Amino acid sequence: MRVVIAEDSVLLREGLERLLGEHGLDVVGSCQTAQDLLRLVRNGPPDVAIVDIRLPPTHSDEGMRAALEIRARYPDVGVLVLSQYVELGLAMQLLAESTEGAGYLLKDRISDVHDFVAAVRRVATGGSAIDPIIVSTLLSKRRADDPLSRLTPRERDVLELMAQGRSNQGVADRLVITVRAVEKYVSSIFDKLGLPTGGGESRRVLAVLLYLRS
Amino acid sequence: MPASAVPTAEGTDDTAAPSRWVIWALALAGLAAGAYSASIDAAVDPTGEQAEADVGEPLVIAVLFAWLTVSYVLCGLIAWWYRPASRFGPLMIVVGFGIFSAGLTRTTSDVLFTIGHVVDLLPPVLFAHLFLAFPTGRLQSGRLRALLAVAYLAAIGLDLVRMMLGGLGPHNLLEVVAAPDAARVVLRAQLVAISVTCLGALVVLVLRRRSAGPPLRRTLTALIASFAIGLVMIAVLLVSVALGAPAIAQIRWATFATLGVAPVAFLIGLLNDRLARSSVAELVLELQGDPAPPDVRDALGRALRDPSLELAYWLPDFGRYVDIEGRPVELERPGPDAVRATTLIDRDGAHVAALLHDPALKDEPELLGSVAAAAGIALENGRLHAELRARLDELRGSRARIVEAGQRERKRLERDLHDGAQQRLVALLLELKLLEEGLQGDPAARARLDQARREVATSLDELRDVARGLHPAVVSGHGLEVALEQLAARAPVPVRLSVELGGRLPELLEVATFYLVAESLANIGKHAAASSATIEVARVDGRVTVEVVDDGIGGADTERGSGLRGLADRVEALDGRLRVWSPSGGGTRLRAELPCGS
Repeated sequence: MRVVIAEDSVLLREGLERLLGEHGLDVVGSCQTAQDLLRLVRNGPPDVAIVDIRLPPTHSDEGMRAALEIRARYPDVGVLVLSQYVELGLAMQLLAESTEGAGYLLKDRISDVHDFVAAVRRVATGGSAIDPIIVSTLLSKRRADDPLSRLTPRERDVLELMAQGRSNQGVADRLVITVRAVEKYVSSIFDKLGLPTGGGESRRVLAVLLYLRS
Repeated sequence: MPASAVPTAEGTDDTAAPSRWVIWALALAGLAAGAYSASIDAAVDPTGEQAEADVGEPLVIAVLFAWLTVSYVLCGLIAWWYRPASRFGPLMIVVGFGIFSAGLTRTTSDVLFTIGHVVDLLPPVLFAHLFLAFPTGRLQSGRLRALLAVAYLAAIGLDLVRMMLGGLGPHNLLEVVAAPDAARVVLRAQLVAISVTCLGALVVLVLRRRSAGPPLRRTLTALIASFAIGLVMIAVLLVSVALGAPAIAQIRWATFATLGVAPVAFLIGLLNDRLARSSVAELVLELQGDPAPPDVRDALGRALRDPSLELAYWLPDFGRYVDIEGRPVELERPGPDAVRATTLIDRDGAHVAALLHDPALKDEPELLGSVAAAAGIALENGRLHAELRARLDELRGSRARIVEAGQRERKRLERDLHDGAQQRLVALLLELKLLEEGLQGDPAARARLDQARREVATSLDELRDVARGLHPAVVSGHGLEVALEQLAARAPVPVRLSVELGGRLPELLEVATFYLVAESLANIGKHAAASSATIEVARVDGRVTVEVVDDGIGGADTERGSGLRGLADRVEALDGRLRVWSPSGGGTRLRAELPCGS
């Protein structure tokens, strides 16, 4: 699994390289600027690009723009955006078209090594990884006549993990229940929220996100 | 601007008034000339040039010459007496006697006839001269002086040539040869040249009025200008004579009437401050009513009958003149081409104000003086008003600079934290985790490492809050709309968000709007007990409007609540306005308007 990294903090970049290397991922390139990132991707499209949202020279939106460009021009390359702050609006910009092969995580998540590596693998294989803060922000969003209130606490847990981009297996592992049970919860949730079932796991994430955002 | 560079009121050329004896002597001379002119029993030669240049019945001609002579001389004397600074009075007197001299062609005395003929074409040129020199008596440009010099040359110089060629009858003392045909050619050249001069003068008058910009002292200048139509009629008359066409009677009489009434109009124009006395009295009454400072200018403009009048106040602390709003005003240096004249109003040796007015007012120093004196206290009030405005502007500018500097500094701090401490802590977290994984066999050490990791994570969270409070980086990086979405999603009540900006705003404005919305939503959470809210941000006509409306209990107090006060400060620092409607039980509507330049 080929990975490129764009991160201007040397400490963090080297930490990431080591971490991913130790977990069997192949870091084929790393750089500090959005320009270099785009060149790396052009020269040999990796499975996933990990991109710091703030990159030189202005540290404003260079990283984000590079991420969006990769999403648009190389649909097969997964893009995982890392940020010090989690902004709903930015996440939605990144995931606007689809959640396939896209992720948006807080930088701290790196230290939860196993979860982080799993997220990188997910994005690399066309899945998604959405920061729990985004999901909880969306879930905590007040709505008039809120259908979410009809969910059981367990269903809420499942919804939250599902919205983060986890597979049924991932949710099952997290909650220590069977995949069959997860499937049952999922269809009940979709029922209560009035969402159409069907489609792959990653399509379902977008449906849930769009529902939560509205 | 140093005080020495300020143009001062022109007043040094106050010529002494003419002596009473001179006036009386000239008046008597004028009357005698008029009487003589009327008494000349037109001994017109039936032959010669007189028949060709037929201008009217002898009696009418006699009365006309008498009237023109007397009216110009007397009006000129009155003008000279009351307006010694203006050369216009003496000029009118010269014109009066000039007309008289031209009338001498009707005598039979050889000497007088000759004198009269030398100047017989002078009157039209003199009229043109008068119009061009009104009201100062001076010609304002070299071009005008050249034009008139040519005209005078044509009128007198060529006349001498023509008289040498004869053809004027037996009384011509200057006749050298008898060549009446040649004389006629010279006469035609003269008439054409003088016509051209008259039309040229008219063009100059029209152009001058055009370039004067706003209509200056409308009524009187218009009155004078309307008499300039006489110049056209003279031109038509002379050309028709030159071409041998019959002079059109109506034009002839209209010309005479116009030129006959003109001296009275000139006199009224010059002396109109006599009429203005009452306007000064009105001004005094008006100023006693203690008008608002902006109305003082209007009152002065009315008293001086100069609607274009501008007032500038001297601010000693700033060392410059400003308008009523405190904006700097540059005083124009005096000169022949100055469009505006400046009169400084000083008190006790210190500047108070300056009047920027129509240069024609310079000829009415008493009017200017009495208006300035009457306006004393009102001007002092206006000066204080202007000073206040100037200080407010200065304050507003420095407040905006402070806000901007503060924001720059906060942004820098956020950036330092983001690129420095935050990155290091994240790297440290990762390092600790990797270390922890490496320690397979030591559960106690692993537990302590895990604890350390949690501490670092907590520090990171706290640091993140500090950094975000310093500066919302997402606003600078990605714009207001993206940033507001997070605020709306985390709001304590359901929020409908609408952002219509059509592009990015200046950063200062974006950040201010962000905090405005953030704090409004926090207030709604704390006090409003609302069930929903709407946020609308839009750009309309160079202003950004931010409206936050909730359906809560209302009753928000702008004065006591420090939150609202803080918001108002934030908005006002950017020269904006914040208004809050919060009727008890009727929800709260907060509306901010911020100027955004474009």
